[in-house]
Amino acid sequence: MDLRPSGRDELAAMLRAATADGRVLDIRGGGLHSRRGWPFTPDDVLHTAGLGRVVDYEPDDMTITVEGGVTVGEVLRLAGERGQGWPQAPSEPGATVGGVLAAAAGGRRRLRFGPIRDSLLEVVVATGDGRIVKGGGRTVKSVTGYDLPRLLTGSLGTLGVIVQATLRLWPLPMAEQWFSARGEPADMIDMAQGLLAQLHRPTAVIVGPGSLHACITGVPDDVVPPAGMVDATEPSGPGPGVVEIGVPPAALPALARRLSDDGRVFEAWMGTGICRVAVSAPEDVRAMRDLAMLHDGHAQVIDGDDALRADPFGPVPAGADIMRRIRASFDPAGILCPGRFAAAEPVPA
Amino acid sequence: MTTTAGALADRLRHLLGPDRLLEGDLARNLYSHDGSIVGGDCGIVALPETTDEVAACMRMAHEAGVDVVPRGSGTGLTGGAVPLEGGLVISLARMREMGEVDVANSCMWVQPGVLNLDVSMAIAHLGLHYAPDPSSQQACSIGGNVGTNAGGPHCLAYGVTVQHVLGVEMVRPDGEVVVLGGVAPDPPGYDLRGVVVGAEGTVGIVTRVLLRLTPLPPDVRTMLLDFLSVSDASAVVQAIIAAGVIPAALEMMDRNMTMAVEEFVHAGLPTDAAALLLVEVDGTAAEVNTATEVVERVAREHGVRTVRVAQDEQERALLWKARKTAFGAVARVKPSYYLHDCVVPRTRLVEVMEAIGEITEREGVICLNVFHAGDGNLHPIIALDRSDPDETERAMRAGDQIVRACVAMGGTLSGEHGIGVEKRDYMPLVFDDDDLEAQACVRRAFDPDGRMNPDKVLPTGTRCGEVGLADTQVPEGTWI
Repeated sequence: MDLRPSGRDELAAMLRAATADGRVLDIRGGGLHSRRGWPFTPDDVLHTAGLGRVVDYEPDDMTITVEGGVTVGEVLRLAGERGQGWPQAPSEPGATVGGVLAAAAGGRRRLRFGPIRDSLLEVVVATGDGRIVKGGGRTVKSVTGYDLPRLLTGSLGTLGVIVQATLRLWPLPMAEQWFSARGEPADMIDMAQGLLAQLHRPTAVIVGPGSLHACITGVPDDVVPPAGMVDATEPSGPGPGVVEIGVPPAALPALARRLSDDGRVFEAWMGTGICRVAVSAPEDVRAMRDLAMLHDGHAQVIDGDDALRADPFGPVPAGADIMRRIRASFDPAGILCPGRFAAAEPVPA
Repeated sequence: MTTTAGALADRLRHLLGPDRLLEGDLARNLYSHDGSIVGGDCGIVALPETTDEVAACMRMAHEAGVDVVPRGSGTGLTGGAVPLEGGLVISLARMREMGEVDVANSCMWVQPGVLNLDVSMAIAHLGLHYAPDPSSQQACSIGGNVGTNAGGPHCLAYGVTVQHVLGVEMVRPDGEVVVLGGVAPDPPGYDLRGVVVGAEGTVGIVTRVLLRLTPLPPDVRTMLLDFLSVSDASAVVQAIIAAGVIPAALEMMDRNMTMAVEEFVHAGLPTDAAALLLVEVDGTAAEVNTATEVVERVAREHGVRTVRVAQDEQERALLWKARKTAFGAVARVKPSYYLHDCVVPRTRLVEVMEAIGEITEREGVICLNVFHAGDGNLHPIIALDRSDPDETERAMRAGDQIVRACVAMGGTLSGEHGIGVEKRDYMPLVFDDDDLEAQACVRRAFDPDGRMNPDKVLPTGTRCGEVGLADTQVPEGTWI
């Protein structure tokens, strides 16, 4: 069954009912990050599109408060009208704010602007048993209490439904441009390392198989094509079927060389340690994880069918027992995406 | 079976030797205080030097069922490091080793007792620095910074401590050592690293910290602007940011504070100004030039009297010294001070400054203001003589009204000092019972027995409801 709450009260009532009846829910925003974690079979799918209000936008404070079902595109449109932006956002306009936060799915400007978790100031979440819980604060700086915004970011819907988020916005830059080059993979990787060394705070330096993209942000005098590069647009990612590798940033050149040699389709976000690789079979996932672990990193499936997600995360993380207890307190009946995040999974006694 | 507190002391003395277990009255008195005006009751103090020793201390305290209060340099301003009812204080002050700088990944592991400023000094020759720079950075420790999620003037553009801590090694309340986060970004699972930073020592003891190191900017310019009214200065803060410039730092100092600082530092500050703004812009040469033009233009539009641009590194250092020694300068006015660090939305700055003025005047106390104006993070410093009970009472009343005024304007309790004991009972002003219970549950997930820095952060009586979860019940064949 599809559940479509039109506001937080109705959402809370639906969650209380699901908890009482033991009905397992999947949570769906724009549907762009739903193929993550271990597969599970929901009884109902809860759609967040009805949580679509812009609650407050204070341009002079550079903060915006929106409900979880508001799209990234809508936030960018409203902010853009006032000369502001959300630089940590991903490039899919149809993704919802709640969805990208729950998936910690930030965009390609991370090198300069940081991960998406740094843009979430306050979060309101509906827990599995229908409590409405707020964490953080709407001011641009706050250390008031435990950091629920960071805990919720990347929780993949297992701690609650993101009802509302207050985001920190930034002024739109005076100038910004993507540039690209094509050539031998080894040359592209060398050029990328050159850019990281020469440019002060580049916005993105992205290596693909035989390609290089760079984004430069700042004042017009600084936004000029690096040697050997021409004007371009933001690259698109690999997929469907994607593993995201996280390794120490300095390991990315070696990783990119290896992926190029193996003929993989990938995008390596140089300087950040993140690399997304197209995969089509479970053995690809294993190969990517082995490669990541060789470089002291990890690999998770961020988009894949059930077969690809047989082992989506790899080894058990440190503190899994802490995660389980947190999960159990936010979702006592275990109805929110159970199984997706098995380390955090409560198990009925 | 638990052992008694005396038996715990015996075991700790055996582990650390008599020199590193402090039991005398002098030490117990010293460790009953921090930089705040909160006083407590200290049991015994352990001074471990390694992670293994911390883990052993924690195991012993766990077995004895004794509360543990972690402590860094003790510069905290909210009583976070003050033991309230005996128990074991574990000081990390002797854990002062820095690991090798990982230049390729721009990061470095350090022990928690390392002082904040020492990090930046140790890596400056590599063209790197550690961005969070609390004004107490010559004295405060990295471990304490992690506990409070410390800020500083440059957090306006660079972000607070949690944005610069890639990972932590933490001894859990039962003595187990875990590493959360790391050099590789976004490990699978919940971001426990993000929860540990700012948890004020209530979830475990951080024994190593992986710091993100930031390249020094190629160019920097520091400007001192002076105004004849606080509201003009506040308007400039707003207008600079509205013009699309996020300075590296944007600090305000009112006249009371300027006079105290100038007597102390002799930086040539205009003591007849109602408010000063210290503005620093950095980046490429082109970025700095553009930002400087914007700042000067906006300031002139709002009646700035003079714009002083630091001509060299020496003058820049002098201006920053004036800013960062401000708390110390209060001693020229009164022997002690009481302050809050509420945050308000930047758009409410003028209003809140007026409110603070009215409140402190009504209570008849001297208030000096020096604060992070760019992010709305106030530091109203009420100077007082604590031997005068009436003045102390009036200072407390004024502080209470200031907190309530800030919250009423959409603000929050703390921007960078934390909650500790002092602001604990204000938490219900910003969070309801469900919010606080959820926070209590997060805390309890780390510390099921509730022995870590008890009675801090959350108001007395905040409880996590019973959660019936046995750790050992794990589905076959899944992640764990």
